Amino acid sequence: MKAFVSAFVLTVIAAFPAWSATVTNKDGEPAVLVVVEGESRMEVAISAGSTESICPSGCFITTPSGDRLGLQGDETIEIVNGSAVVK
Amino acid sequence: MTSKLFAVFLSLWMVAAPVPVMAQQPAANANPQQQLQQQEAAATPQAQAAAQLETARKNLERLAEVITKAKDDDNRLAELKVEIDAAAKQIIATSVAIRPRLDEIKARLAELGDPPAEGAPPEADVVAQERKRLLAERGAINALTGTAEDLSVQATKLSNGITATRRVLFSNTLLKHTDINRTMVMDAIAAISLERQTFMRTVGSWLTFAWNFKRLQLLSALFLSLCAALVLLAGTRRLFSPFIHRGVLNEEPGYITRLSVAFWSTMIPTMAAAAFATTSYFFLQVFNVLRPDIAPIVSVTLAVCVAVLFVSTLANAVLAPGQSAWRLVRVSDRGARLLAWSIFAMTVVNGLDYLASTISEVMGSPIVLTVVKSLIASIIIGLILMAMSLIKPLVAAGQTLDSQGKPWPRPVWLLFVLTGAALIMAALSGYVGLARFVATQIVMTGAILVTMYLGILTGKAVAKQNALADTVVGRYLERRFGMEQIGLDQAGLVAGLGIYALVVLLFIPLILLQWGFQIADIQAWAYRLFTEIRIGSITISITGILAGILLFAAGFVVTRWFQRWLDSNVMARSRIDPGVRNSVKTGVGYLGLALAGLIGISAAGLDLSNLALVAGALSLGVGFGLQNIVSNFVSGLILLVERPFKVGDWVVTGTTEGFVRRISVRATEIETFQRQTIMVPNSLFINASVGNWTHRNKLGRSDIPVTVGYDAAPRQVMDTLLQIANAHPLVLKNPEPQAVFSAFGEATMTFELRIYLADIVNGNGVRNDLRLAIYERFREEGLGAPFPKETLEPEVSLPQPEPEIVAARKTPDEAVEQPVVDEPVRRSGTQRRPRRVSVEAVGDKD
Repeated sequence: MKAFVSAFVLTVIAAFPAWSATVTNKDGEPAVLVVVEGESRMEVAISAGSTESICPSGCFITTPSGDRLGLQGDETIEIVNGSAVVK
Repeated sequence: MTSKLFAVFLSLWMVAAPVPVMAQQPAANANPQQQLQQQEAAATPQAQAAAQLETARKNLERLAEVITKAKDDDNRLAELKVEIDAAAKQIIATSVAIRPRLDEIKARLAELGDPPAEGAPPEADVVAQERKRLLAERGAINALTGTAEDLSVQATKLSNGITATRRVLFSNTLLKHTDINRTMVMDAIAAISLERQTFMRTVGSWLTFAWNFKRLQLLSALFLSLCAALVLLAGTRRLFSPFIHRGVLNEEPGYITRLSVAFWSTMIPTMAAAAFATTSYFFLQVFNVLRPDIAPIVSVTLAVCVAVLFVSTLANAVLAPGQSAWRLVRVSDRGARLLAWSIFAMTVVNGLDYLASTISEVMGSPIVLTVVKSLIASIIIGLILMAMSLIKPLVAAGQTLDSQGKPWPRPVWLLFVLTGAALIMAALSGYVGLARFVATQIVMTGAILVTMYLGILTGKAVAKQNALADTVVGRYLERRFGMEQIGLDQAGLVAGLGIYALVVLLFIPLILLQWGFQIADIQAWAYRLFTEIRIGSITISITGILAGILLFAAGFVVTRWFQRWLDSNVMARSRIDPGVRNSVKTGVGYLGLALAGLIGISAAGLDLSNLALVAGALSLGVGFGLQNIVSNFVSGLILLVERPFKVGDWVVTGTTEGFVRRISVRATEIETFQRQTIMVPNSLFINASVGNWTHRNKLGRSDIPVTVGYDAAPRQVMDTLLQIANAHPLVLKNPEPQAVFSAFGEATMTFELRIYLADIVNGNGVRNDLRLAIYERFREEGLGAPFPKETLEPEVSLPQPEPEIVAARKTPDEAVEQPVVDEPVRRSGTQRRPRRVSVEAVGDKD
């Protein structure tokens, strides 16, 4: 029984999702996002193929294609052809 | 029963019914309607979002105005911040809601492809128009999101602005510097008489107004609040009377008793007073008795009264000036009295200071008056503190409490003097706000901390093993509800934990309020604590986890209930084989448990897709450590499906033999004939051969070897054996018993009586009967004796585990007596010497 309990606990711990939004750049070139979080407006560059965590508590981003998106903070986003695909 | 069956059918139908309906719907709506709906839906979310954003913008404007107005009101600002944060969240949610439409447009644009390059043949007009329309819509959505972005920034700015304002406000109240000089004091003195007049007039006019026009309401408000307080007081007194009452005892009360009496005698009157104050204010407000100019004064008066009561009862409880036996700290009688008085005086002065400043504020008196009042109060409190350093409360080790005390130790003395001096200095140098804040902290926070400490000590004392059973409450519970020792102990533990929770939940917010935080702040913190705790990029929601656990528990209970219902109502009546019943029951149990677990996990907000990773990690773990457990688990499932044995079967595996008592998922419980319970891992049953005496039926053969000397006639022996076997009622006629001449020994012949039994479980008893009968018959007929001639001693049988059912229910009389009666007694006279006959116990194992 102990083994089951510990296995369960392990599972639960491991299954805790990372809650901040993660952005993965699937394009061949670096993507520059404009992230507006709280009062600040900053540019986040994501190099090709890499993944970044942004804004855990909700923000707005502007993708290279010029589209603006509101994010709750728990999304997984992929940049494909300069445009964001929210999973 | 019928109703239950009906319910089952109904629920099954309800589950099954929507499926075809849902399947039909899309088909019906497929073409024109669907497109229409889509267009409508396309129009709505943007318009909705635009409307929502417009509302949010107006809301923010309104809030900004309110903030400018309320920039001095810390409490209001705290509430506004909560409101603005909620608005900011709402703005983000609005923009998230239009995201799907943007995705749709992007997808459609991708389908349409890029516009034709220059020189390429032009595309169809419809396509060009649609692209244009989609691009316009995309632009509109982006503009909308842009607006949301701006609003969000604006909201965050407002929220941060509030935080900054509140910080300034706090430091202003604390560190505001006023020049104390002669003119100021003169101004204040001049203002005093004016304020007194205004105050008298206001209060007088309110009283007249209340008495003339609101008499009934005033009286009923007071009456109702008094009732509430009385109910609370009487109820708690009844419940906690042994905790509160300080009886005149012959012996000195124990430390724990003193402690809990101190804690509860502080808590209960204070709570009752607080209840009275709150309810009376509430009712006065509800019945419109209070006027806006009087309401703050009344509320502060009530609060000050409660605070003074709290501190003075606490001082009384701890110091017990009148009853030295109940004193918690070892100070002299005189010292205790003086200390209690000084604490009381400090509290009263501090409370009056607050009351006076509220009055000045309401009456619109000049600010100097408030400053001077606080100045005086601070100086008085400083003086009292310094005076307290002169008290000689300590009692030397050998002396009684009524003796002359010793002075404070040097550091304590210094602390008193320095704090008092610092208060006076701060007040005189113009930092009146700071002095007042420190004075309040010394009195109120000190009192709250002391009470907390007492409460925690009380909780610890109550939770101690068997502490509750020795108290009056424990004896009452024992008498009234017949609680056992263990129950009382557990109740004590629960009570102790409850007291801890009470102390923490009640006093920590109180202290925070003391430090200038507002109720809205504390609420927001509590809310955040329960909904989202953020550690790095991970957010944990306590409510989510609790909900998950609750759902899991509910699922578990429902599963157990369903299992029991299925077993006792459905399967028991449909005469299903007990093995199948057990398997189905267990299977349903595990299925339900797994379902409940899944529901709980998803309710707790755990992402099941992350489990793939875990499964990868676990498979490695299974390869090493968990291999055995998993193999047993799978074996258990196979056992449930294959059912090589069921509960109650008599099985043999390896060295273990006995009755199966329980088949669970990891191990099977086997009870041996000696009543030893053995847990056999399920994999043993799958990997090794398992003997089951009672698999399809309980029919079985049992053998009794009989050894007789060579001077007996073998045929006669065999006949006699068969006669004996046939005479036993439990021996089956078909297959019929056999007597076999099985071996020639050195000096003996070995026979074997093979009998078939309908229930092999009875084997031991039947064999026992038969052996008795054989012995007696052989004796009578002179065939031999079942013991060796040389020793003439009965052979000691090997220790053989015997099923007790068998031993208990056998009465061998009938079986044995019959042949004896049938046989004529003719041979009884023939005296033959006993021959070497022995009955072996070997091979008796079944």
